[in-house]
Amino acid sequence: MPKYLLIYRDSAEPQQPQPSPEEMQEFLKMWDGWFKQFEGKIVDGGDGLLPTGRVLKPGGVVADGPYVEAKEMIGGYSVVSANSYDEAIEIAKHCPIAVIGGAIEIRQLAEYN
Amino acid sequence: MNSTSQLVEHFFRHEYGRLVALLTRDFGVRNLELAEDVVQSAMSRALVVWPRSGTPAEPSAWLYRSAKNLAIDNLRRQKLEQGFFDAASGVSAESSTTFATLPHFNNEIGDETLRLLFLCCHPAIAVDSQVALALKTVSGFGVHEIALGLLTTSANIEKRLTRAKEKMRELHLELSEMTSTEVLERRETVLSTIYLIFNEGYAATTGDVPIRLDLCWEAIRLAKMVATHPVADSPAAQALVALLLLHTARMDGRLDTEGGVVLLAQQDRTRWDGGLMREAMAYAQNAARGAELSRYHIETAIAWEHCRAPDFSRTNWARIVDLYRLLLDRFATPMIRLNAAVARSYVEGPEVGHDQLLKLDDSDRRRIRPWWDCCMAQLHERRGQHNSARSHWLDALALATAEPQRTFIRKQIVRLNIKK
Repeated sequence: MPKYLLIYRDSAEPQQPQPSPEEMQEFLKMWDGWFKQFEGKIVDGGDGLLPTGRVLKPGGVVADGPYVEAKEMIGGYSVVSANSYDEAIEIAKHCPIAVIGGAIEIRQLAEYN
Repeated sequence: MNSTSQLVEHFFRHEYGRLVALLTRDFGVRNLELAEDVVQSAMSRALVVWPRSGTPAEPSAWLYRSAKNLAIDNLRRQKLEQGFFDAASGVSAESSTTFATLPHFNNEIGDETLRLLFLCCHPAIAVDSQVALALKTVSGFGVHEIALGLLTTSANIEKRLTRAKEKMRELHLELSEMTSTEVLERRETVLSTIYLIFNEGYAATTGDVPIRLDLCWEAIRLAKMVATHPVADSPAAQALVALLLLHTARMDGRLDTEGGVVLLAQQDRTRWDGGLMREAMAYAQNAARGAELSRYHIETAIAWEHCRAPDFSRTNWARIVDLYRLLLDRFATPMIRLNAAVARSYVEGPEVGHDQLLKLDDSDRRRIRPWWDCCMAQLHERRGQHNSARSHWLDALALATAEPQRTFIRKQIVRLNIKK
């Protein structure tokens, strides 16, 4: 079955209010629910990404990262298996990131090897 | 694999206060902000790890370890930046204390959360800042939640928090330095801050703002925390718990099915919570031990008179008036004077109540409007003076901001117009 990478894009706006502990607990419950709902479909739960990084540019130039495009920054990822983009989108739609208004980029893995 | 659904309600919120308290004990009150940051980060980390690898068997310990390590990393980095790395190497993640072996400073207050609450109520910190600080650090509310609960803006809450933290830095406050004498001195402030939190939540509880109800329950939790502590406990603390429970028991009856305000006289008393009243009475009995007679004792006695009256017409107003006299000797706040005047009107007639209300001067009235106007209107109506009543209702409407209250006042005006 094809695999898809879900790339979680958070807002990079610094003014975002920090979620309260109560909201975080709610969020945790949503994540748990998502993992349970798509138990057989989530190949790799993935991880979160720390907010800072480096960008290696052509010519060996290293800049402080992350590479921020528009107003979003990659905050984490997961890998799911699905029969089609439609199914992958369906899984992503239920992901807490999407539910609370974040963006998710969905990319099929080439699986060259 | 454990599931997060096993976490008790408000687990993160309550853990937040406990962890911040533990970390300020470990790293000093001067690192309060760092403590809050690392607890926030540890919780964010839990959001990623727990759903993927299962909730740890001891989620509290997991969060504490995670936050503490983050704090140590952060402090090391700070020192590294200052070139004092060697000095920091004495702090090690391995030396972290476990929950079972927490040392108690001076053997005074063992519970770190309670200690932090007492610290927030330092007399040098302004009362409105105390409330904001306690809600943020001890109770684990977010800034926007506090703003919603206290009917103000997030910017205003941030300002109050900044002022409070500046004060704490200025005074070099430390958790470990509170002696039992200080605890006893500060107990009264702590109780009044808790009461204030409750009243903020209670004042305009409406169906659409559940956070205000959370404030009430949080105040009860804090009051119980004080009341169950061997050093901090006092008859006044017991009485405060009893009072808050009696108020909460009648909370549901105050609103109709559309969330509108219902006056005491019209409330459906079967909607009052008998379980909470019984719990309140247990605390009231504890409060009766000892010679102390605090305002909370008297207010509990008043609330109890309302609770035990089978209906409004059988309220023992004479007893309530006596209790208000006792209360006014100690706390003649405008709100208490207003309530006392209304109580007297049911014993001595609406004229007496009306005269009492007029005795409140302009600055007193300003603090309790539009309630003052509402009471004036009702007293006039009871005397058959419908035109004066209507004009007071209109004043009240001009001043009222909470929507359920406005709806209630409009209904009264319509009703009076029909009567005419």
